[in-house]
Amino acid sequence: MELQAVHQNPSEKTENPYLPHMARIVRIHRMVPDNYLFQLRFVDDNVLQNWEHRPGQFVELSVIGTGEAPISISSAPTRKGILELCIRRAGRVTSALYKLPTNAMVGIRGPYGNGFPVEEMEGNDLLIIAGGLGMAPLRSLLWYALDNREKFGTVTLMYGARNPADMLFREELLSLADVEDFNCLLTVDRDPTGTWKQHVGLLPTLFKKATFDPSRTYAAVVGPPIVYKFVLAELLKLNFRKDRILMSLERRMKCGVGKCGHCSVGYKYTCIHGPVFTYWDAINLPEIV
Amino acid sequence: MKPKIGIYGLSGCWGEQINILNCEDELLDIVGAVDIVDFLGGSSVNDTESRLAIAFVEGSVANAREEKELQHIRNRSDLLVACGSCACFGGVGAMDAQVSRPELIKQVYGNNGPAKSWDIGPHKPLSEFVKVDLAIPGCPMESKAFVKAVSSLLNGDVPLLPTYPVCLECKMKEYDCLLVSRGLPCAGPVTVAGCGARCPGYNVACIGCHGPVDEANMGSIEKIFEQKELPMDQIKLKLRTFAAPVLDKERE
Amino acid sequence: MKILKMPKQNLDLFVSVLPAFGEVYAPVKRGKGFAFDKPSLWSDVQMKYTRTILPPKKLMLPPRETTIAFDPVEGFQDQLAMASKPMVLFGVHPYDIYGLNILDRVFAQSKYPDPYYIARRKNTAIIGMDFEPDDKHFAGSMNSDFVDSGFDLFLSDIGDDYLVLVGTSRGDDIVVMSGCLMQTPGEADFAAYKRRSKDRRASYKTKLEMEDLPEIMEMEYHSKAWEDIGNRCLSCGSCSMACPTCYCFDINDEVELGSRKGQRIRSWDSCLFKTHALVAGGENFREERSSRIKFRYYHKQRGFVAEYGRPSCIGCGRCVEVCPAEINIISVIETIRGERDGIASSAPKSV
Repeated sequence: MELQAVHQNPSEKTENPYLPHMARIVRIHRMVPDNYLFQLRFVDDNVLQNWEHRPGQFVELSVIGTGEAPISISSAPTRKGILELCIRRAGRVTSALYKLPTNAMVGIRGPYGNGFPVEEMEGNDLLIIAGGLGMAPLRSLLWYALDNREKFGTVTLMYGARNPADMLFREELLSLADVEDFNCLLTVDRDPTGTWKQHVGLLPTLFKKATFDPSRTYAAVVGPPIVYKFVLAELLKLNFRKDRILMSLERRMKCGVGKCGHCSVGYKYTCIHGPVFTYWDAINLPEIV
Repeated sequence: MKPKIGIYGLSGCWGEQINILNCEDELLDIVGAVDIVDFLGGSSVNDTESRLAIAFVEGSVANAREEKELQHIRNRSDLLVACGSCACFGGVGAMDAQVSRPELIKQVYGNNGPAKSWDIGPHKPLSEFVKVDLAIPGCPMESKAFVKAVSSLLNGDVPLLPTYPVCLECKMKEYDCLLVSRGLPCAGPVTVAGCGARCPGYNVACIGCHGPVDEANMGSIEKIFEQKELPMDQIKLKLRTFAAPVLDKERE
Repeated sequence: MKILKMPKQNLDLFVSVLPAFGEVYAPVKRGKGFAFDKPSLWSDVQMKYTRTILPPKKLMLPPRETTIAFDPVEGFQDQLAMASKPMVLFGVHPYDIYGLNILDRVFAQSKYPDPYYIARRKNTAIIGMDFEPDDKHFAGSMNSDFVDSGFDLFLSDIGDDYLVLVGTSRGDDIVVMSGCLMQTPGEADFAAYKRRSKDRRASYKTKLEMEDLPEIMEMEYHSKAWEDIGNRCLSCGSCSMACPTCYCFDINDEVELGSRKGQRIRSWDSCLFKTHALVAGGENFREERSSRIKFRYYHKQRGFVAEYGRPSCIGCGRCVEVCPAEINIISVIETIRGERDGIASSAPKSV
C-alpha cells in the first residue's frame, strides 16, 4: 500500500533534508598549505544546541553562490559548539571557500553517513591508522576516544605523512605524544627539516613499535589507496578479523541522503551505507577500493 | 569600480558577438555588473590597452597577425574565455586544416582562381597559442552560456558547462529520437549539450556544433549509421565541420 | 477493494470531471511515439498506446527543478510551493505505476524523505489503465504487469466496459463526482476480466528469466561481455532518462548576474556519463565506459534486490526502444546467463 503511506498525515511537515543551515566561519587555521581547518558555528541557536554527530560522519557544505561539497567532520561530538572541518582545496566549492574571510557565512546540512560504530568499539582496544589526509575524519574518532578514555582499552594512533610540513594537526598531535594512556606514533616518510623528533619511515613500519591483541582491537584506517594496500596487509598478517577493520571511503556524496546516486559503490551508497565500511564489506562489494 | 571586460573576434563569422548583443533581457544587468571597455563589434570607441578582468574571444587564429592580437589580449587579461566552436576547436575554418591552402583555393575557384594565396594558414583554436581559462563551445555560443559564464566568473567561480551529450537535453524535452525512430543522421549521442536540443526540437538532426563529448564512441556510432544505411563517414564529417583538430588529435 | 464497471461510452463524461482534481496529463502522440501531456482535445488521447517516451517519473521528479533559493544574507529558502500543483495522470500502465511505487521506496519511504517528490506524488491522482504488450514489454517477467496499489483508479478493458478498481479515497471522490457513470459489476464482468488477464499474460513475446539472476551477476562480474557491451554503448544516457526507476540527479547552483543570489537546481543525470563518479580531487571511480554500463545493470538487477528485495527493472521496454546502439537488456542478461554466445550475436545484422 505504497501510495497510502505517502498520503498519510498530509499536514505533517517533513523536514527538508536538502535545506542547509547557516553557519559562521569563526576561525580559519592554516594548518598546511591547501589544507585549512575551518571552525564553524551555527547561527541558529536551536541548530547549535541540537547538533549531534558521530565520528566518521560528514556534512554537506555550501559556499553560497558556488555550490555544495561533502566534507568529513574533524571535531569530536564530545566537543560541542564548534564544528571543525579540515578541508583540502581540491575543487570548485573548496576553492571558493578558501576565498572567504573569517566571519563569512556558509551553509551546512547533515550530519550524514553511518560514522564509526563507536558503541560496538567501546570496551575494546582502539588502533587508529591515518595516512596523509586520512587524519581529517579520524581526528573526530581520536578525540571521541580520548574524551571517553575509560570506555576503551589501549588507544593507539599511527599517523604517517610525507614530511612534517604535510602533517595535519601536527602541533596538537605532538602535544599528545607524551600523554599517558595514549600511544601516539607519528612518522614522516622523510624529514627535510632535520628537526623532526618522532619516527621517520613509511607508515607500516610503525607496526613494529606497538603490539596488539587483534581479538580485542578495532582498527580504523583512513588514507590514500596505497595506505590501504600496505596497512591492510599488516593487519591481516596480525590476524585481525576482517569485520574489525574499519575504513572510510571517499566518493562523490552529492546529496548526502541516498538519492542522487553519485556516491554509489558497487550497489551501496557511500552516503547511507558508509562512508565507514568494514574490510569484510569492502571485499564483498565490487569496485570498493 | 566595475570589472573591465573586452570582447573580441578573430577569424569567424562574429556570431558570438551577435549572440552577446542578443542577450537583450540581460544586457542592462551585464553593463550593470561589468564595464565593457573594448568591443569592436558593439562600439566604435574602444580602450585597447587597459587591464581587463575577462577577455571573451571568438573565432580561430588564421595568421600571424591574429596570433599577435591574441597574445596582446592574453597579456592584458586576468581571464581569457574562448567563445564558440571556432575559438574552442578551430571550427569551420579548420575543417580542412590538413589540406594545403593553394590546393583549397584550387578546389574552390578552379584553375582560374587567384594566383597567390592570401595570408591565411590553417585555422587553429586559441589554446594552441595561449592559456584558455574557459572554453564555451557552440556555433554560435549560446547567449545563456555567456551570461552564466559572466555571472560565475565575476564571483570567482568556474561556470559548470555541460559535458554530457545532447541526448540528455533531448530526452528531457521528450523529443522522439530522430536517429532511432526516423533513421536521421543525428550526432546528438556524441555531441556536447548546452543547446537544449534545439535542432532535434525542429526535427533537424544534430550537426555536432558543440564539438564531440569526451571519449566519444566514434566506432559505435559509425556502425549505427552504417546499419541505418546512412553514409558511414557522415558522422565524422559532421563533427569535423566544427572540431576537426580535436578529432585529428584523438586519432594521433 | 471497491470494484465498479463503466460502459466505454461513458468515458468522455468521466474524463470531464478530472480537471476538478488537477491539471490532466494523458498519453498523446509525440513524433512516432507517445508522451504524457496536457491534451488539447480529449480525442487526442491515445487509449491504445505502447509506452510513452518518458515515464511518469518526469512529473514526480522533473527533469529540472528549482529546489532551493539562496541569498548571502537571507540564507536558504526551500521552493516547495512550486511542487504542490495538483495533477491527474490518466492512462498509466501498470508497470509504470509499479515504477512509481519503486521510486516511492527511495524518495518517500526512506531515511530522508524527499519533500519535493512527496509533494508531487501526494498531489497527483493516478488513473491506471491496462495494456496489450508489444514485442518490447516484458513486464510479465518482472511481476509488474499487475499492481494492487499506487493508483487512485484503475481501468481494465473488458469489452464494452471498463472494470474500475477504486484504490483510494480520492479515487472514490472522482467516482462520486462523476455521478452515475459507474455500475456494479456482475459475474460475467469478472469472468471477462479473468479471461483477458490470462490472455494478456500469455501474450508476452519477450521474457526475461529472473531466477538466480543476482547470484549469476555476481559470478559474471568480470565477464568479458561487459567490455563488449561497453564498446557499443555511446554513454548517451538515453536509457537512464527513459527508465521509470532511474533517479540519479545532479545539483547545481545558478547565480544571478552580479550577485551570489540564486537558485539551487536539480536535474536528471546518468551513471553512464563519465563525470558521474568523478570526485573533486580528480579520481574517477568508473573511468571506463564498460564499468559504467555494468554498474547500471548491477544497480538495477542486483543492488535493488539486496536493498529492497526486488530488481528495480519493471519490464517496460523503454531502454530497448531508445538505445541508439540497440543494446537490448534481454540479450545482455541472456549473455550474462551464458544462454547466448556473446553479445555480438544479438547485435543487428551489420555489427
